[in-house]
Amino acid sequence: MNSPTSPRSDEVSRRGFVQLTLGWLAGTFALAASAAAAVRFLVPNVLFEPSLRFKLGKPDDYPDGSVSFLEDERVFLVRKGNTFRCLSAVCTHLGCTVNRADHGYHCPCHGSVFDEQGVVKSGPAPRALEWFLVALSKDNRLLVDKSQRVNADKYLVL
Amino acid sequence: MNTPFLKRLWQGFERTRVGRSIFRVGLPQSNLERSQAMVSSFLLHVQPAKVNRHSLRASYSLGLGLVSLYLFLILIGTGVLLMFYYVPSTERAYNVMKDLQFVVSAGLVLRNMHRWAAHLMVLFVVLHLCRVYYTGAYKRPREFNWVIGVGLFLLTLGLSFTGYLLPWDQLAFWAITVGTSIAGYAPVLGPKLKYLLLGGNVVGQEALIRFYALHVIVLPAVAGLAVAVHLWRVRKDGGLSRPDEPADLVQQVELSQLPVNKTYGLMELARGRTPQVDQNPEDQVFSWPHLVFRELLLFLLVTAMVLFLAIFWNAPLEELANPIHPPNPAKAPWYFLGLQELVSYSAFWGGVVVPGLLVLALVLLPYLDRGRRGVGRWFARERAVANSVFSLCLLVAVVLTLIGSLFRGPNWGWVEPWKSTPAITEEH
Ligand code: HEM
Ligand code: FES
Repeated sequence: MNSPTSPRSDEVSRRGFVQLTLGWLAGTFALAASAAAAVRFLVPNVLFEPSLRFKLGKPDDYPDGSVSFLEDERVFLVRKGNTFRCLSAVCTHLGCTVNRADHGYHCPCHGSVFDEQGVVKSGPAPRALEWFLVALSKDNRLLVDKSQRVNADKYLVL
Repeated sequence: MNTPFLKRLWQGFERTRVGRSIFRVGLPQSNLERSQAMVSSFLLHVQPAKVNRHSLRASYSLGLGLVSLYLFLILIGTGVLLMFYYVPSTERAYNVMKDLQFVVSAGLVLRNMHRWAAHLMVLFVVLHLCRVYYTGAYKRPREFNWVIGVGLFLLTLGLSFTGYLLPWDQLAFWAITVGTSIAGYAPVLGPKLKYLLLGGNVVGQEALIRFYALHVIVLPAVAGLAVAVHLWRVRKDGGLSRPDEPADLVQQVELSQLPVNKTYGLMELARGRTPQVDQNPEDQVFSWPHLVFRELLLFLLVTAMVLFLAIFWNAPLEELANPIHPPNPAKAPWYFLGLQELVSYSAFWGGVVVPGLLVLALVLLPYLDRGRRGVGRWFARERAVANSVFSLCLLVAVVLTLIGSLFRGPNWGWVEPWKSTPAITEEH
């Protein structure tokens, strides 16, 4: 790197040093700021995805002892007596939709097996299936909020 | 002398004013003109005027790098044509595929060519990597070109992966769902990276347009540039590796060593050895016609191979993507099935750690394995250890890929391909 004042030697004058430092700093800053802005640009602020909270039918649409798969929301609604729970159908391994099996759930992609509580019995899934909050709306319909996770033993009791 | 009619016609054209304005040197008649033909043409000047006989030997390089290059060019050509119909919309992409199949003239063949060339490119890039490894060609002074090569290998996989989503069929949707979830397992940045790739939380319209932009412009542009640098460096590193070549190509020139009152010619500063330095002229032949002819012939062969595949075999297209039901089993393209098999044991170890370490090992390889012996020969005995380690890794990769492709059925359970697969039961 040659300084502006002495093109043929390695010595840098004081002014040259300040100019060089400022120049490099400004250049680096401009590059870093542009890169940061470009990355931020690529992160979407608004998502046009289905809402995480949704309304289902009346409680009595789901018979006692049933496990109903809700396609669009990718969840299972589990009713036992007067209790309602909602289980995610998204495999915790790599996101495939699990299938209802005799005593639990099977994932078709890499063969994870979950029991009735969503707990992993075998396969590569690292975590249990998630349970979501279920509530009742004023007009007597079930409400599910996928943004709120709950423990497997939390029920909506009617 | 009876010159063929076409050649005479061509020579007649060359002698016109227009002809001479386009081609400074006509079809070369003498050795001088053969050199001039190479240097004065934009497309040819990347290559030296003379090449070593060893480099021309098909049994050394097997032409694998060239085949990769040609497949890349075919992919660009067919891809640009497909772009005239394709629409990156979840509502229309699948219909466009059907149109290409049934409505557009030559649409089917073009789509097939693009698909088969993509598969072949992955295959040939891997074979080229193996050739370079087994001949020890990554050693000094070619270390960095090997690193660029590793980058090209990853870019090739990235191009295949992003292209995979575009037909928006079941295969596309679930392969990308699984693939991007793997990215989500990377430590610290994983979930952010996944969000950025998909432009959201699920594979949908935003993901499709992102993959489209990556597939048709970002990755091809980067790969094209990298290929150019790669080829340039093959030349600057002294042509293809040979058993008897010197290790040091570039002598350092200090500015202070040069006399002061003189204007320098480029030749004095760029002291890189051209392939001619220190070599027996007997080993050298003119690139025109020896190299150029072989290259053209290989290009013809590769094009013929792709066309043949495209005419007789159709690229797969499954049903329209259905975000609710994954196909059972949901499989990635064949070159990712080894990875998918690993991932079926553990997403983090199989999907992130093992591939990450492998890439790191590939990048560091030329800087760690520094011995100079056994370069320029296949399976040199001096490299027995290095070659065995590599062969073992290769074997594991091939076995995993075979298991993933052939021995995995519904629920990723073990099946034996020679027995009929059990029927897939829908359980909802
Ligand atoms: C898009 C992919 C690639 C293209 C188009 C390409 C193209 C080429 C070509 C045309 C050559 C000249 C010799 C030959 O044909 O074998 C070459 C040489 C070479 N390539 Fe590649 N290549 C690619 C990927 C790779 C990869 C994945 C590696 C290794 C990680 C690599 C490392 C090398 C090295 C070290 C040489 C010099 C070999 C020697 O001097 O013997 N390349 N490449
Ligand atoms: S996605 Fe369910 S096991 Fe892999």
